Amino acid sequence: MKIRILLTLFLVFSLTSIGQTKQELKVKDFFWGENDTHKNANEIPDKWKNESAVIIYKNENYDFHKFGKSVTYITSTRKRIKLLDKSAVKEFSEFSFSDLFKEPSKVIVFPIPVVFKVKQHTGSFVGIKIIKPNGNEIEIDVKKESVQVDGKTNIAISNLEVGDIIDYYIYKEDSFKSTYAFGFDPVETTLSEDYPIIDFKLFFETENDFFINFNSYNGAPELKNIPTEKKSFRRYSLEASNIDKYISNRWFYPLLDLPSYKFQVYFARSGKFEDRALAFLPEKENIIKKSVTKEEVLDLYDKRFKPDGDIGDIKDFFKDKTFKNNNEKVTSAYYYMRHYYLTRFIEAIVIDDAGIRYNPYTYYGSNPVFIRNQKQFIRHFTEFLKREKIGFEIVVAKKRFDGSISDLLIEKNVNVLLKVNTKTPIYVEYFGPHTSVNQFSPILEGTDVYLMSASKNKIDEIKKGKLPISSQAQNESKRNITLKINDAFSEVSISTVNSFKGHQKEDKLSERLLFTDYVNEDYKKFGTKSFINHVKRKKDKAKYKKALDALIEKLKIKREERLKKNIESEFKVNDIEDYTFEIKETGRYGLDSYLTYTESFKAKNTFIKKAGPNYIVEIGKLITAQIDLTDKERSRTENIHMNYPRSYNNKIIFNIPDGYSVLGIDKLNKSINNKTGAFISSAKIEENTLIVKTSKQYKNNYEPNSNWHLMVEFLDAANQFTNEKILLKKK
Amino acid sequence: MHKTVFFLTLITLFSNYSFSQKKIEPSSEDKYTAKALKEKYPDDSVVLLKSEDYITFDFNKKEDKVAVNQESTESMINIDSRSNIQKYCFYDGQSIIDKFEIKNKNNKKASIYVKDEAYTSEDLFHNDTRVKYANISFPLLGYKFKTYISKEYHDIKYFTKLYFNDDYPVVKKIIKIEVPNWLELELREINFEGYSIKKNITKDPKKGSKTYIFTLENIPSFYKENSTPGPTYIYPHILVLAKSHTFNEEKKHIFNSTQDLYDWYKSLVNTLENDNTSIKDKVKSLTENAKNDEEKIKNIYYWVQDNIRYIAFEDGIAGFKPDEASNVFNKKYGDCKGMANLTKQMLIEAGFDARLTWLGTKRIAYDYSTPNLSVDNHMICSLFKDGKIFFLDGTEKFNAYGEYADRIQGKQVLIENGDDFILKTVPEVTANFNKEIFSYNLSLNNDTLEGTVSKNFNGESRTGLLYSFDTLKNDKKEEFLEYYLNNGNTNIKISDIETTDLLNRELNLNISYNISVKNAVSSFDDDIYIDIDFDKELENFQLEKRNTDYVFSFKRSLETTTSLKIPPGYSITQIPKDISISSKNYDMYVTVTKTNNVITYKKSFKIKNAKIETSDFKEWNEFISKLKSVYNEQIVLTKQ
Repeated sequence: MKIRILLTLFLVFSLTSIGQTKQELKVKDFFWGENDTHKNANEIPDKWKNESAVIIYKNENYDFHKFGKSVTYITSTRKRIKLLDKSAVKEFSEFSFSDLFKEPSKVIVFPIPVVFKVKQHTGSFVGIKIIKPNGNEIEIDVKKESVQVDGKTNIAISNLEVGDIIDYYIYKEDSFKSTYAFGFDPVETTLSEDYPIIDFKLFFETENDFFINFNSYNGAPELKNIPTEKKSFRRYSLEASNIDKYISNRWFYPLLDLPSYKFQVYFARSGKFEDRALAFLPEKENIIKKSVTKEEVLDLYDKRFKPDGDIGDIKDFFKDKTFKNNNEKVTSAYYYMRHYYLTRFIEAIVIDDAGIRYNPYTYYGSNPVFIRNQKQFIRHFTEFLKREKIGFEIVVAKKRFDGSISDLLIEKNVNVLLKVNTKTPIYVEYFGPHTSVNQFSPILEGTDVYLMSASKNKIDEIKKGKLPISSQAQNESKRNITLKINDAFSEVSISTVNSFKGHQKEDKLSERLLFTDYVNEDYKKFGTKSFINHVKRKKDKAKYKKALDALIEKLKIKREERLKKNIESEFKVNDIEDYTFEIKETGRYGLDSYLTYTESFKAKNTFIKKAGPNYIVEIGKLITAQIDLTDKERSRTENIHMNYPRSYNNKIIFNIPDGYSVLGIDKLNKSINNKTGAFISSAKIEENTLIVKTSKQYKNNYEPNSNWHLMVEFLDAANQFTNEKILLKKK
Repeated sequence: MHKTVFFLTLITLFSNYSFSQKKIEPSSEDKYTAKALKEKYPDDSVVLLKSEDYITFDFNKKEDKVAVNQESTESMINIDSRSNIQKYCFYDGQSIIDKFEIKNKNNKKASIYVKDEAYTSEDLFHNDTRVKYANISFPLLGYKFKTYISKEYHDIKYFTKLYFNDDYPVVKKIIKIEVPNWLELELREINFEGYSIKKNITKDPKKGSKTYIFTLENIPSFYKENSTPGPTYIYPHILVLAKSHTFNEEKKHIFNSTQDLYDWYKSLVNTLENDNTSIKDKVKSLTENAKNDEEKIKNIYYWVQDNIRYIAFEDGIAGFKPDEASNVFNKKYGDCKGMANLTKQMLIEAGFDARLTWLGTKRIAYDYSTPNLSVDNHMICSLFKDGKIFFLDGTEKFNAYGEYADRIQGKQVLIENGDDFILKTVPEVTANFNKEIFSYNLSLNNDTLEGTVSKNFNGESRTGLLYSFDTLKNDKKEEFLEYYLNNGNTNIKISDIETTDLLNRELNLNISYNISVKNAVSSFDDDIYIDIDFDKELENFQLEKRNTDYVFSFKRSLETTTSLKIPPGYSITQIPKDISISSKNYDMYVTVTKTNNVITYKKSFKIKNAKIETSDFKEWNEFISKLKSVYNEQIVLTKQ
């Protein structure tokens, strides 16, 4: 019996081995066989001789097949790269793959433990070869030369030198069964990458039941249909050549400015599943869908956004309340929902994460409502609006870095929010713990959108619209700084009051607030109970409170350490002393409300330079580091895409030490103001105080490259301000 | 391999849900203890109240090896309001962890999962080290856990030392070593001076053993400081020197003497095939046109430096046995042993006398008077020529023949010599050998400083720069040089850069360029204020709150001379005062002189032994404080 088991195992092993070898050879032949169009391509154009490496050929293949419910999905990439320096050799000298081989199996068969050292393939293959400058080809034996650790396969490439070409392919085959429609991960990329590319080929092979959305943008070549022998089979390719390398830059949206392509493949077995697919599918499999009309958007979403949700709790909250108008009502509903469906659970989430109690959510009743995504939020919020008979439109939008709504191709790129048609329209988006009404992703601001609405009970209308755009004044970062110098001129005391509103507030709220800073505020505002107050057993209550308090104490200490480091790095000072931080206002109930906190510290030997009997004060440095453009950045050729218009307003109050007068305040007066932005500063002396005000404004979220020189003007002025000094002259 | 610095994914909150029983909550006494410990160790969050290592030995007759059992029992207390730590233990092909247990205060097993994963290191491409670890949360101040780890080393050779310090402060550390009479073991006490380590020896005639008990109380955690000397310099520890074992009156050496250590190393080297067929052609092409022997040697040595990438496999015996030279040659990669062996075989092929050489780099405090595997961590090649020995380290890049990296200078080396061995010391150089000489010639053009600069780099300052430059992407090289020269300060514009050959490791490196500096000059009324120093080296080099010597990567010597021409019609009204300091570890000064219409600002910083010792700190900090004042002080010119 035991012998039979052993034999069976051997049989299985050897069969798989042979089968995989065949497959492996087939894959190898596909890339490096007779039909390899680039097998002798070893030269690179002169213009790229000074690069680190040049990709001679890049080939990406996507192969989708099915047999009934079984879907086989193959992706493969091949790159043939000429390595021109040591950096490139280093980069390509080690490869790491997960799941390339299965761990050697250990089978214990009495009386001798047998270890099968067979490296079994997992459906993934890798081929690597090196082409020496004299044309010699050396193929790496990946199986032999690699090592496996915890499911990872690592290989160090032998004999790789500057001047060599490395040619490798990675082939991955996945199969799964799916009755329902299934969307493969979308791909959205530029043609270019870190190294320049001589030839690029993207290839698709699909058959019936696979739907492709594909489009090229910004001058990238189009996908071409390749005739096939079978009607149900389809092949497509995109070929491009002479692609310069990708250079990343500040304020740059590559998918908007560089040749790029996007696609998604969808598997849907029949009309029924096609209808259910959450995708903008082409009408037939033999059509490549290149764009999506507004009618198609409506068609996909009409049922999906039907108002729906258990809003009983909201009704309770509104029971005895009166509102001046719908505007106020909707606003209150939003903040209540933000609390009721999110922030009242935050303590429980923290308690769960910290292991203080297993499944603390049971304290919130048997079936508490969680809102988990944008679409659920829309259904839930519109259910409320419907009940309240308040009109609304569902906004279908697309983030700016990804192209405009007219270039919509992939459903996952859609963002939905609501435009509530109150007297002054209110926009609401799926909430986070600190979001406000009229706040939605700044990357959607100013974009063209579709507005869907219901004439009666069904969403049946769609029209074009535009989202509003915030102004620099609305997105303000404000800091009042008081600077004092000690008598010995050896130490400065700096205290700041920092206020943020609009989009400038978002990151700061997550950076500065601990959960205790806002959940208690919400409990108080809405008269709800904290986690501890949900716990009935006295003993448990005391126990959880103790552990939660201990956690909060630790988090506060960690926050202070982190913020102290932040301010040291922001003001470029070391070892500050007497650091304090205090939140004054969270500003969480309105986009225009300020988050305000104070910070103060002392620092030695900084911002002051001795100049004989006088002192130079580096007052400009108090507005902290500004963008310092390099020559390369000055000559940028890309358009400028920023997240949102914004302003940074500083007021410096400097107590002039007794016995000294201030010289040089004229240098603190600057004024650059153009259509792209501004840097305006002014200084005045009032009694024994120097007051300096600065304002840096980015007026738009987008500037064409032709305006770059105007931006440079105010960016330079702000940077120059940081270099300005005043003299404290001994009287 | 130094494994004390160990990073796993840092999880801020991990859960063990163990916090549910009254019996394990901290008592008021626990809380009191925790608070008192926090005052003593404000930078730590967990303390080991007691940590005991109990070491016993077994003889594995079948393999003729002495096995070591290490049982570590620890009791931990949380001294913060809450703490999350990772308790870990490494093992490899030569060891096994039998037990890793975590218990609550009431001695019941805590529900904490012990994970096991491969240890990854940036320095090593592949190694057989693994780690077992547990994420432990202490939910309250004074909360306690106990851990018990039992680890077996299959071979006493790999059990080299025992530290008293830990990742956490230890209130009481006990190291108990039970040495059977059949085992000859020396427990060498290293860095015990200044510590009140109690040692107690008891004999157990029944068991036939002798037990050494070392006790130390109130030990701080390992210092979380950078640029420290290696741990073997700074922490008290016991070096375990396994000499021999005797059974049936037959005495067998383990590492009784350096000869035994060498014999073992040599036995590994002797198993190499040294088939040099594949390297013959390369050696021929590297040597056939060489004018003399020195050129042949250099061609080979430099070829290895430039063409063999450092990729290390530390898997079992590969951690000690060099790879075949032909393998390293064919693969174009290897670790230090592989590179040393390739250098040796290529030189032998070219007709020279070259030998493998073991050594511990500067991080290791020991020399070969302690036969132990932790004495060394590196291998190079020694070349015997004309009665001299030259050391060739293939892992170094842009290292000129006859020059030695600071990390091996002054270190004892063990050189192959057939059945015998030779002990030598790698020669040392003075700081002047690595001298950097900067010269600025400046004049004022309105509020801009303009002029020419020359920078000269020697020794290791040159090597480091050439190597960094060489590893850059081709298309980044130009901008890097500019960025390097202006310290990333866009107020400094660099132009017309000229350099000596950046690929020649033997020439001193000279870089000259024109400079134009904005915002270093301020004019107020009739006065001009000038900030003459753009480099401000050592400006923030206060060595405060530090327990260990500061170690530089090599002996430094920097000399900068800045000449500033005074514009006509101006006189100098203020210059900084001269400062200087001198000690056995450093000579430093700044002087400012006026001659005719030129101000000469001169800085000289020499770190003679590549370190600042803790005993220097007070004086050093005073100097840095003065230096900072000089840097902060403006030169003032007044209109006449």
